[in-house]
Amino acid sequence: MKRVQLFATCLGDLAFPDAVSDAAMLLRSAGFEVDFPERQICCGQPAFNAGHRAAARRVARTFVKAFSREAPIVTPSGSCATMVTHYLPELVGVEPFEIWELSAFLEHEGARMALVNDGIEVSYHDSCHMLRELDIHDAPRRLLEASGATVRELPRPDLCCGFGGTFSVRQPEISLAMADDKLTGTAPVLVTSDPGCLMHLRGRSEALGGSRRDMPAVVHLATALARGVRA
Amino acid sequence: MQDVLDVATANLRDLRLGAWAQLDDAEALREQGREARTRAIKNLSRYLDEFQGNVEARGGHVHRCSTDAEAAETIADICRSVGASLVAKSKSMASEEIGLNDALEAEGVRVVETDLGEYILQLAGEHPVHIVAPAIEKTREDVAKLLESVDGEPVDRELSAMTAKARRQLREVFLTADVGVTGANFAVAETGSICLVTNEGNGRLVSTLPRVHVAILGLERIVANTHDLATCLKLLARSATAQRLTTYTTLITGPRRDGEEDGPEELHVIVLDNGRSSLLGTRYEEMLNCIRCGACLNVCPIYRKSGGAAYGPVYSGPMGAVLVPLLAKAPDLPHASSLCGACTQACPVKIPLHELLLELRRDLVDDRVASWWERAAFTLWSLAWSSRLGYRATTRLARLGQPLAPSLSQPWSRGRALPRLQRRYRDR
Repeated sequence: MKRVQLFATCLGDLAFPDAVSDAAMLLRSAGFEVDFPERQICCGQPAFNAGHRAAARRVARTFVKAFSREAPIVTPSGSCATMVTHYLPELVGVEPFEIWELSAFLEHEGARMALVNDGIEVSYHDSCHMLRELDIHDAPRRLLEASGATVRELPRPDLCCGFGGTFSVRQPEISLAMADDKLTGTAPVLVTSDPGCLMHLRGRSEALGGSRRDMPAVVHLATALARGVRA
Repeated sequence: MQDVLDVATANLRDLRLGAWAQLDDAEALREQGREARTRAIKNLSRYLDEFQGNVEARGGHVHRCSTDAEAAETIADICRSVGASLVAKSKSMASEEIGLNDALEAEGVRVVETDLGEYILQLAGEHPVHIVAPAIEKTREDVAKLLESVDGEPVDRELSAMTAKARRQLREVFLTADVGVTGANFAVAETGSICLVTNEGNGRLVSTLPRVHVAILGLERIVANTHDLATCLKLLARSATAQRLTTYTTLITGPRRDGEEDGPEELHVIVLDNGRSSLLGTRYEEMLNCIRCGACLNVCPIYRKSGGAAYGPVYSGPMGAVLVPLLAKAPDLPHASSLCGACTQACPVKIPLHELLLELRRDLVDDRVASWWERAAFTLWSLAWSSRLGYRATTRLARLGQPLAPSLSQPWSRGRALPRLQRRYRDR
């Protein structure tokens, strides 16, 4: 049987374990055996993007120790997939890994989606790394449509949500203003493929009153595809 | 201000995308632009010498100034030497950089900005907040009130009426100025020409009517030849204002020659360094490729939320966040970004702006400009998270400490709910 290694990411492991379970389920439904290398922790991105290379390297080494090169690595995070693809090898001094963001992998493997979102309108937020550095735009949308959803494009799909790692706490006012822009003009459900964007947008939506105040539910793509956006 | 800036930047971005879409191969042209600019910068010394030789051969003067103070003093000297009492200026960010207006006014010289946006800002006592559309944040009402403050006469809040009023106010300035100061968009080494790009025609008036023309430009404005100039011009207007060319694209080669009817008697070109040459041979050399189109400002989500003044008095947006820390101390600017990469995507000459911002952040850490406690925090975090034991211990602590979290995590939780830490995925 074909195998993949699942990279939960630190945020996935700690704050969105359901989304990680959903990712594992999708991969199994697509016919893969899913390994979870126990020694994984984090790819080092939070420190790397803040300019702390030595700290990033220390943590990134745990990734190298945890994952083998025997099977592709799949992760429910566009930003972590970017980090491992473009920056980690040079940072630690190792050969590149075969790592895939979840939706890109599922589409590449021709995975069939269950009709869990039939008749539901969603919007999709493109995380910056996934969009610009991995060039993944269509896959998540096609998968959502295959699950029965109608995708309503955001008014400004190109704009960053305002998370940006430490940016979210260094420049909180601007970060919040950017989140508010993203939460305007969306369908009642907003789907994203990145735990960072998810934490920030859901956090803002809830703080602004959540569904009581017509703020969207913010859902990870893995959950949307595995159990439906209403899950 | 917020809505005006949101709308204006969105419009400029949409216009640029439309203009790029009209090209047969925008990506190929961007690569051509990158190549032309890189070549110019890699051979900067040679081309500057060639440029100077050609300007002087046609009767112009070239003054190479290392610092902003030197450049301001040089221009003040020129004004003094011709007994100037009125200087007409067309738009020049380099002149903002050296604080020229203040320097001249301290000498008792009256300076009037003739670019409409700059004129409005001058009336308001403010600085430009966008390198191409300097008064981008001003509303129609703001502008009308400022124009009315000059002569006390009311004006219709209607574009053609306000423009006509400004034109009347500026006419006297064009006709009576002793010295005209312009910037330059490009300097062509092969011909000793400077290229001015405007939509208002004020650049042409300022560089031909007064007896003396002073053009100030950063030394990175050099291009090798007219072929490279053409490449850059094809990119500049399309990226800045979605035009194929601006209304006036002027090539000035020397002052008025014998037998010519128009033109200044004297041409002085001020070539400004002010820290630019320190970028040569470094990772940041590519920043000198910038053609000042403003495309990066128009896509930057931070710029549109914070406005140009937040970055400083001269350069703003992503290009400002990269350039200003390289020319002067500005430790906050590299972090005035979420590293979304929209700027890199928008740059017509493919400068990897968001990667340069990351490099600048690394420098802040390596040079110990970043605070000791920030460096300590990341070091401790990385030590804890470089072992499974450390990771498990710290995350268990975090879960237990969740009730305390809102007060400990103010910058996050003032405005955002915290994620609920649950059983880790790995423990299921």
